[in-house]
This record gives sequence, structure tokens and C-alpha cells, in this order.
Amino acid sequence: MIIVKDLSVERLDKKIFENINLSLTSGNITILKGRNGSGKTTLLKTILNIIEPSSGSIYWKGKLLKKNLYDFYKHVTYIADKTSSLTKLTVKDNINIWNKIFLSNINNSQIETAIKNLKLENYLNHKVGILSFGETKKLEFLRLIIENKKIWILDEPLSSLDEDSVELIKQTFEDHVAKEGSIIFSSHQNPGIYVTEEINL
Amino acid sequence: MKFLNKIIFFFYREYKLNLSGVQDILTNIIFFFVSIFIFIFSIGPDTDTISLIGVGILWTLLLLSSTLSLRKFYQEDFENGNLLIMHLNGFSYGLIAILKTISHFIFVQIPFLITIPIASILLNITNDKAFYLFASFSIGSLILSCLGSISSSMNLMNQRNFLLGSVIVMIFSVPVVIFSVGLINLEEDFNSLINILFGILLIIFVINPWASGFCLKLSLENN
Repeated sequence: MIIVKDLSVERLDKKIFENINLSLTSGNITILKGRNGSGKTTLLKTILNIIEPSSGSIYWKGKLLKKNLYDFYKHVTYIADKTSSLTKLTVKDNINIWNKIFLSNINNSQIETAIKNLKLENYLNHKVGILSFGETKKLEFLRLIIENKKIWILDEPLSSLDEDSVELIKQTFEDHVAKEGSIIFSSHQNPGIYVTEEINL
Repeated sequence: MKFLNKIIFFFYREYKLNLSGVQDILTNIIFFFVSIFIFIFSIGPDTDTISLIGVGILWTLLLLSSTLSLRKFYQEDFENGNLLIMHLNGFSYGLIAILKTISHFIFVQIPFLITIPIASILLNITNDKAFYLFASFSIGSLILSCLGSISSSMNLMNQRNFLLGSVIVMIFSVPVVIFSVGLINLEEDFNSLINILFGILLIIFVINPWASGFCLKLSLENN
């Protein structure tokens, strides 16, 4: 599905990374490992066509990503290293907005199951602003489930999470991969998740 | 149909966000009215003088009050990554700019439009002049929202000086103020001046998605 060939990125005349190669097919999990500042977020954003590479190319379904961008965006979703939930609104409001604005094909009972699995049912009427970091991170994963897209691109999804939450996220990863989804995620630590490819930056 | 639904729910999202921050809108309105009172007290009790310069005062204060909210135009969505997520979900940068501009017009400028009759009474502005003021501000406020969109998106790349955006809007809104106040004071030229205002609106409305969209793209790339 996604093939990255000899990708290099330079910013302000500084090499961030060079000659990165990776391929991601359905059912695969790829991890990007590296210390802070090694270019993990930059690589993820380059794959999303937000940052221009200085050389190399990215292919989606056999075509250059840039020429097939509209189709690529239909299949991809992203979690940044900060919460995208609207902090002034309640968890329930956020779920309603995502469900409507992303035209989700997930039905209400599936959303309720996901809420229970992520242990968010007690926070539905709480404003996101007062939730802990771990809970907002789990809410981000709920957004991924609502968006229901095949490719998840995740920036440090496991950082600052306790063991129970990490287990929960691992289970969410396994469920997604079992449904022929694929995941690229970055981490500066060893997450203890089975991955098909490891890229060191 | 799906595309239309997305746009409707985008406005639903903006409505929910603005409802949760309704105190910001009220603060803008309070700023507007407190400023009117300060002008009245500083000019004195001469109703003829107040009436003569009232339209100019109202337009200046409307401009200042509406620039107060510019900081939040894109900032929150940019910082929490929602701009990027919306882009990945089929909203082009240009479309985001158009929708945010219309949302700014609805949730920030329309409350000012509603208060114009009360402000006109306070400044002893006659009914027919108040009507012209209402007409000119209806068009002028949409022009201000477009200018605000461009300056706010430019400001995303400049995190140090938020006031710069307001200064840019005020400089570019000088022609809008000239034609709007002229429209009220030269009533016989109403049609020609309102056509000029429409012309400015059409030009800026076309430039806005292109310019704001480009700045949004650049700021996300450099974030």
C-alpha cells in the first residue's frame, strides 16, 4: 500500500534524516524508533504530505502519493503528540462532532462498545479539559475508531501512559490489524508490541 | 450530499465551540458599548456634535472590537492539530479558510450587527442613517472577516507578535471605512458606494481562500 523510497528531509539546511525506506501493507505494524529530535514526527508528517521531502518518493497503491493524495487521505488518519479533542466541550460532544463531521460509518452500538473498551464511559459528561493525559489519549484512540480508516499514523501514542492504558492500546492495535488495518507509529521507548518492521532514525 | 453534510456539521462544531466560549463574544460587545460611553463622556452633552461624528465613531469601534477576536481565528485549531485532522478528512486549506471566515462572520460580526440599533440611539444617529450604517456594516464586516482570516493565518507563522495581525487588518480596512462612512454621509450616492463595497467584498472573498490556505499550509509545514 505505502512504499517510501530513499526519503530524505532537510530543514533550514540541516539534515533531519536521509535515505529512509519502508513499506506498509495491510495487517502490518511499523515502528519508528529514535531519540528525541531524531526526526520521527517529521517522517510521519512527510508521509502525510504535510512536509516536502528534499529527495526520495512516496507511493500509494503504486502511484506517486502526490498524484493520488485524495484517495490516500480517504484511508489515513493521524494522532499527533498532543490532544486534538476540543477541551472546552464534553467527551460526549466531541464524540458527536467526530461522528458527524467524519461521516462515520460506525454505528452507535459500535461506538458504545469502543467507549466501554477504552473505559471512558464514566467521563462522557466531563469536559475534556479536566481529563488526565492518559484519558485524553484514550479519547484520541476513540477518534481513530470512529474515523474507521485503514491506516493509522500515530506520533508517540504510548508516551506518558500507565501500564493498564498501554495494554488497552495494544489490544486496540491488535483489533485494528486483525481487520486488515495497518499502523505506523513512533516511539522513543520499547513498547513491547509485536511489529513487522522497525525503522531506526 | 456527503460534502454538504460535512459543511453543515463543520458549522455545528463551530456553533458548539462558540457556545462554550460565549463569554468572549459578550466581552467584545461590552468593550464596544463601554467605548461608546467613553466617547460620549469625552465629547460632552452636545447632541449635534455626537450625531455628526457618531457614524465615524461607530465604524471605528466596530473595527476595533471585531479585531479583538482575531487571535482565536485559527490559533486553537492550529495548536491542537484540528486543522491537520480536518485537512486529512477532505477539507482543503482553502475550504477551511472559507468556512472559518463565514463562521467568524456569523458568530462574531452578527452580534455587532444586532447591537447597531441600540448603539445608534446612544449616539443620536437618525433612523435612516442607522439603516445605511446597518447596510454598510453587513458588507463591511464580511470584508473584515476575510481580512482577519488572512492576517490570522499569516500570524500562525509568527508566534511572537499577535498584535501584528490586528495592525494589518486595520491598515487594509481603511478603504472599507472610507466608503462605508461616505455611504452614510452622502446618501444620494448610496447605490454607487454600496456597489464599490460589494466590489471590494468580491475581490477579498476570492483572494481569501487562496492566501489564507497558502499560509495555513506553510504554517502546518513549519510547525
